[in-house]
Amino acid sequence: MLAAAAILFSLVMILLLWRGDPKRRRTTGLRDGADTSARRRLLVIATLLPGVLLAFAGDSAAFLIWLGSCVIAGWLAAQIQGPGAAR
Amino acid sequence: MIHLPKEETKLMVAVHGWSGILLGLLLYAVVITGMAAVFAVEIGEWSAGHVETRSAFERSIDQPVRALGASTPEKYHEGVDIFEIGDHNLGVFFHHHDLDASGAPISRGIYYQLDRDGRVASAQEGTGEEVFGPRNDDALSSFLVDTHVRLHVPNPWGLLLTGILGLAMLVAAISGLLIHRHLLKDIFTLRRKAHPVLVDRDRHSVAGSWSLPFAFILAFTGSFFSFYGTVGVPIVAMSAFGGDQQALSDAVFGNPGTPNPTPRAIGNLDRIAADAIKRSGDAPTYMSIENFGRADATVTTYLHPKAGDIAPVTLLYNGATAQFVQEKPSIGTKPSTGGTLVAIMSPLHFGDFAGVFSKAVWFGLGFAMCYVTLTGLRLWLARRVERMRSLDWLERTVTVVGFGLPLGLLGAAVGFLVTMPLGTAVFWTPTAFLAASAAAIVAGIAVPTHAMLSRGLQIAIALLLVALPLVRLITGGPGWPTALAAGQPSIMAVDLAMLLSGGWLLWRLIGQRRKPLVPHTPALQPAE
Repeated sequence: MLAAAAILFSLVMILLLWRGDPKRRRTTGLRDGADTSARRRLLVIATLLPGVLLAFAGDSAAFLIWLGSCVIAGWLAAQIQGPGAAR
Repeated sequence: MIHLPKEETKLMVAVHGWSGILLGLLLYAVVITGMAAVFAVEIGEWSAGHVETRSAFERSIDQPVRALGASTPEKYHEGVDIFEIGDHNLGVFFHHHDLDASGAPISRGIYYQLDRDGRVASAQEGTGEEVFGPRNDDALSSFLVDTHVRLHVPNPWGLLLTGILGLAMLVAAISGLLIHRHLLKDIFTLRRKAHPVLVDRDRHSVAGSWSLPFAFILAFTGSFFSFYGTVGVPIVAMSAFGGDQQALSDAVFGNPGTPNPTPRAIGNLDRIAADAIKRSGDAPTYMSIENFGRADATVTTYLHPKAGDIAPVTLLYNGATAQFVQEKPSIGTKPSTGGTLVAIMSPLHFGDFAGVFSKAVWFGLGFAMCYVTLTGLRLWLARRVERMRSLDWLERTVTVVGFGLPLGLLGAAVGFLVTMPLGTAVFWTPTAFLAASAAAIVAGIAVPTHAMLSRGLQIAIALLLVALPLVRLITGGPGWPTALAAGQPSIMAVDLAMLLSGGWLLWRLIGQRRKPLVPHTPALQPAE
C-alpha cells in the first residue's frame, strides 16, 4: 500500500517533468511552456522524495518496487506522443 | 553529466559499441529468457494446468519422509533435501556428500518424487546432476530457466559464458553512462520522424538512461551467480581450505556442533513446518536436514522474505526435538554484512521478494533491458549500414534473433502444451523451440526485404501469443472458472497477458500498414 502510494505520487511528478521537459518540447516544435531549471529541480526532488522516505523507513521491498516502477513509468512516459510529436 | 576528453569519449564509444555488437545477441538471449523466467513459477502453473495453491509444506510431510527414511540405505542419511515439485507435490533427495574425479563436491543418493497422496511416484539413484532434470510437467519453465542460466552449454562453461555476458552488460552500462553527455536533458526526447540513426539513438538512449540503475543491479547479480560456484568457491577453497570445497561449504553454510552419531528418530517435520510458517508468515520453499536419524540432526528451513524486507528468511531447528534454535544468516552462524549482501543477491536478481507485484516490475525491467540491447544493436548497424551494404547480413541476423527468439520461445510453449498430455514434453519442448527458430532463420534467408522479414516475424509472434491460450484449452488445460474456483489466478492472468500483448502487437502492426510512408530526412542533426 505504501509502495503504491509512493509510486502514484512519483508517477504524477514524472508526468509533470515530461510535460515541461525543455528538450522534448523543443524537438516537437513547442516553443513555449518549458519548465524553468528551478521548477525542474523541485520536480526531481519531489519525484525522489517517496523513495527517500521509504529508504529511511527501512522498507527495502517497497523502495525497490518504487524504484523499478519509476524506471518503467519514466520510460513509458517518454513514449507518449504529445502535441507536435509528428516531428 | 560526466564530461570526458574527446579521445577518451571516442574510446568509450568504441568499447560500448563493440562489446555490444560482439556479445549483444547472446546477451539478448540471456536477458529475454531471464525476463520470462521471472514468472517461471506462474508459467509452470499456466502451462501444466496446475490448480493446487496450498504448499506441500502446509500438508503433512512428516509421515512420507519418515517412511522414506526407513527404506533408504543409511549411507544416504547424511543429508535430506525436501522441496516442491509439480503441482505442489513433494520431492525428497536422501544423499551423502562426495567428491567427483576432479575433486569438486557432489551429492549422491536417491531422489524420490511423491504424488499428491504422498506415495512414491518415482525413485532414482545417482548424483544430483544425474537425477535432477526437467520433468514432463515443468519442461517449459525448466527450458526457460536453463536457457537463461547457461544457454544450454554444459557446466561450468555455460555459467562462465553467462557470467561473461553479465560483465559485458556491466561494461556497456558504465561506458554508456560515460559517453552520454546529456543523460538527463535527453531523458524524454524521442524523435520519431527524424533520420533513422537519430530515431534509433533516441530509442536506445532513453530506454538505457531510465533503466541504468537496474542494468547495474541485474548485470552484477547475474555475474555473481554465474561466477559464484565456478570461480569464487574453488578459489576460496584453494586459498583457505586446501582445495576442499566440501570443507568450505560446511564451514560457511553448515551448522557447526559436536558430532553425536547416536541413533535418534527425526523430530516432527510437520511441527517444524508449522512453526516456520508462524514465524515468517509464509510456507517454506525448501527444507534441508543434516544427519537424518541421528541425535545431532539439524533442520534448516528456507522461506520468502518477511513483509517489507528483501532478504530471505532461514530458520534453524534441532532435528531430534523439532525445537527452534535460531534465525540463521545465509553465511556463517552470526549476522554479517557479507552474509546480508549474499542474501539479497537472489531477490535483487529475480525480483521475487514481494510476490507478483515485484515480479511484474522486474518483468518490465527485463523488457526494458531487451529493448536497450536490441535498439543498441540496431543503432550500431544504422550508423554503418548506409556506408557498408555488406553489413546487410548482420542487420538480418539481428532481426532474426531479435524477433526469432521470442518466436522460438512461443513455439516451445506450443510444443509443450501439445505434447505434455502425451508425456513427451521433455523432448518436444526444446525441439519445438529449435523448429520455430529454424523457421525464423529460413525466413531471414528467403524473405526478399528486411522490412518484410521484420513485419512477418512480428505477425507470427502476435498470432502465436493470441493462439496460445486457445491451444492450452484445446489440449485439456483448465478453463478460467475451474482455475478461479480452485483459487488459482495465474492461469487466467497469463492467458490475459498473452491475449492483450498479442492483440496490441497486431493492432500496432495493422496501424503501421495504414500510415503513409514518409521519406527519411537525409541529413543528421548537429547532435549526431
